[in-house]
Amino acid sequence: MSVRQAPGHQQGAPERSMGDDSDVEEEALANDYREQVDYDGEDYGLDRQMSLGGGPQDLHAQLVAAAQPLEYQATLETKIQSYDSYCNLFHFILNSEGPVDIEVPSHYWAWDVIDEFIYQFNSFCSYRQRIAFQQSTTAVNEDEVAILRENPSVWGCYSVLNVLYSLIQKSQISEQLAATKRGEDGKQYAGEYGSRPLYQMLGYFSIIGLLRVHCLLGDFSLALKTLDDIELNKRAMFARVMAANFTTYYYVGFSYMMMHRYADALRMFNHILIYVSRTKNFQKNAQYDSISKKNDQMLALVAICVSFSPTRLDDTIHTALREKYGEQLTRMQRGGPESLPLFEELFRQACPKFISPTPPDFENPQINIDPVEHQLSIFMEEVKNNMWSPTVRSYLKLYTTMDLTKLAGFLDVDADTLRSWLLVNKQRSRQVRYAEGGLLEGDVVNSSDLDYAMQGDIIHVSEAKVGRKLVDWYLRNLARTY
Amino acid sequence: MGFAFDVAPDRPENIDTILNGLDRYNPETTGLFQEYVSQQCENQTYDCYANLALLKLYQFNPDRTRDETVTNILVKALTVFPSPDFNLGLSLLPPHVVAQTRLSSASGGPASGTLAEAVQHLTKLHHQLVNASYTAFWSTLDSDDLYADLVADVQGFEELMRVRIAVVVSQCMQEVQRDVLESWLNVSGEKFERFVREVCGWKIDGQTVKVPENKENSAQGTVVRETVKFEQFGRMVKRAYEQPA
Repeated sequence: MSVRQAPGHQQGAPERSMGDDSDVEEEALANDYREQVDYDGEDYGLDRQMSLGGGPQDLHAQLVAAAQPLEYQATLETKIQSYDSYCNLFHFILNSEGPVDIEVPSHYWAWDVIDEFIYQFNSFCSYRQRIAFQQSTTAVNEDEVAILRENPSVWGCYSVLNVLYSLIQKSQISEQLAATKRGEDGKQYAGEYGSRPLYQMLGYFSIIGLLRVHCLLGDFSLALKTLDDIELNKRAMFARVMAANFTTYYYVGFSYMMMHRYADALRMFNHILIYVSRTKNFQKNAQYDSISKKNDQMLALVAICVSFSPTRLDDTIHTALREKYGEQLTRMQRGGPESLPLFEELFRQACPKFISPTPPDFENPQINIDPVEHQLSIFMEEVKNNMWSPTVRSYLKLYTTMDLTKLAGFLDVDADTLRSWLLVNKQRSRQVRYAEGGLLEGDVVNSSDLDYAMQGDIIHVSEAKVGRKLVDWYLRNLARTY
Repeated sequence: MGFAFDVAPDRPENIDTILNGLDRYNPETTGLFQEYVSQQCENQTYDCYANLALLKLYQFNPDRTRDETVTNILVKALTVFPSPDFNLGLSLLPPHVVAQTRLSSASGGPASGTLAEAVQHLTKLHHQLVNASYTAFWSTLDSDDLYADLVADVQGFEELMRVRIAVVVSQCMQEVQRDVLESWLNVSGEKFERFVREVCGWKIDGQTVKVPENKENSAQGTVVRETVKFEQFGRMVKRAYEQPA
C-alpha cells in the first residue's frame, strides 16, 4: 500500500485525508493538532482520543503501515501525521481494555515498527534542529518554521520514551528475561500481556529501542545499562532479526567507545562484522543493502578503536578494513596532529545522528548547535590527549631499557613533556574490560602488549609476546576439507 | 579488581530506587539528586551514575538547571581522572554551553559569570590532568579566583587530587626524582615528606623517592598463550559422527 494513503486509513477520520491539499484542510488539521497537544500535555501525548472505526481490515492496514518507512520526500505534515498515527496505534495497544487480540503480520514486524518509530523520531528531531539553526544564516521555509514552533511536543522525547517504557512494562519483558537468565521459565512472569507474542516482541524490541534512544541523547552509560536483562549472544531473540542484531551491536559498541572502553567496543564490532561477512550470501538483497552502509560505518569505528588500542584483528575484518580505510588507518595509527582530521572525518561518517531532547530555541537560532558537533568535539578532546601515544609506543618497542633524556632527544621534546606522554600512554593502556555480568561491569586490565616502568630517568620496557594462535586457523582449514 | 559503573557503595537506598525506576525522569526528583551531590561533595564520596542521571534531568528540563550543581558534578569528576566521567558529563550538557567554551579568549570567550565560563575553566583543568601536565594543573588552579570558587564546595579537593596523582605515579614509576614529584604534587619540604611517607607509604632516599613494587610498575615481560577449550572443537567432533569416513 502506498504511504500517501496510509494516514487517511489510520485516522479513520475523513477530514484527515491527504488526498485533498486545500488550505482549509490544512488549517483544520493544524487546529485539530493544537487541540490535541494542549489536551494531552499531562500524558506526554500518548493518551490520544482515537477512533478506531473500520474493523479488522483497517487495523491490519494500520499495523502494516506502522512498519513502513515514510517516503523520502515526505512533507512536514506527513511526518506529523505519522507521529499521530503511531500515538494512536500505541495507545490502542497499550490502553485498550485487556490485551489486544491481533495477529502480528510477520515475525519481524515488531522490530520494524520500533525501528521505524525511532528512525522517524530521530530524523524529525535532526530536521527541526537544522531548520532552527539555519534560520539565522539562510532563508528557510517560514511556514515550516511556524508549524514547528507551534507544535513543540510533536515527536517529543518524553512521549517516545514513554511509549518504549510502557511497552516494556506492559509486557513484563524485563521480568521474563531476568527469569530466563536465572534458568527459570520466563513464561511464568509474562502475565496477561506478556504471554502474547505481540506484546512480548514489542516489549523486547523496545529495550533495544531504548538503547538506541539513550545513545542518541548522549547518555552512553544508561544505554548500556538498559541491556542488563538481555544477554548478548547468538541465541538472543534480537539475533533472529538481522537488522536488530546489527543495530544492537552497533549501539553497544559505540557506547563502549564513548566510555573509552575500546577493547570492548572492538569485541562488539568484531562479532557482528564477522557474522555479517559469514552470512551475507544468505541475506536477501534488500536487507543486505540497508546494512551495508552500517557495515562501512562500523568498519570506520573499528579503525578508530584500533588506532586507540592496537589489537590483532580477525583476518576477515582486517582485510575489509584495509580495503575500505587502509590509507586512513595507517595515518591514524601513526598519530600526531596530522591524524586529527582523519579521526574527525571517520567519526562524523560513522556516528549516530545525535539529537537534543528539547525542541530548539527558535528565538535564538545560533544556539541550536548540531548535537553531532557537540559529541564530536568531546570525542576529539580525547583523541588529542592520546595523539602522542603511537609515537611513544613505536620507539619503546625498539628497546628494553632506555634513558628518558636520550629518548626525549630523539623525539625532539623536553624531558618533562616526554614524562607526561609516558604517564598518559600508561594510563590509557589500562582499560576497563568486560568479564561477566552487566555490560557496565568489567575489570581494569592492561590492554596493550607493551608495558613499561620508570626508575628515575631510566625506562624499563617489557613486551607481552603473544604465542601463535593456531586453533582458529586449524579449525577453519579443517572445516574446509570436509 | 571488579568494577561496575552503575554501582556506588555509599548510595542511599532511595536514590537507588529512583535510578532503577521511571522516577529518574521525574523533574521533581532533581531536588533529591542535588542534595545527594552536595552530600558527595562534603563526604568525599562519589557516585557518577547518579550524577549523570541528574545531568540528564537537566538535559530534559533546562529550566531546572542549577549551574552550581553542574560545576560541582564536573569538579567531582575531575577527582577520578583519567576515567571518562568528565566527558560523559559534558556529553549531557547543552551543546551551546560546551560550544562557547571553545571560543578563544581573543574573541572575548564566554561571558563572565556564565556556566559556559565555568565549564571552560574546568575543561582546561581536565585537559591538563589527562595529559599528565600536573605542574601546569596546579599553577592553573592558582591562577584565577574563579578556580578557587569552583572547587570550594568539594571538600579536600587538593588532597584528593594529590592522592590521584600519586596513584598514577605508583603505576608508572619505581623511582622518581624528588623535585619532579614535588612539582607534580605541589607540596614541598616537610609537608611533602609527610605526604609521601604517611599517605603513600613510600621511602625517601636522598633526592629520589622509592615506590614499592606493585603489579603495575614491575614491567615484566610475559608470553600470552592461547587457551584452547574443548567446546571449540564441538562442531568438528559432531561432523565426524555425522559423516563417517
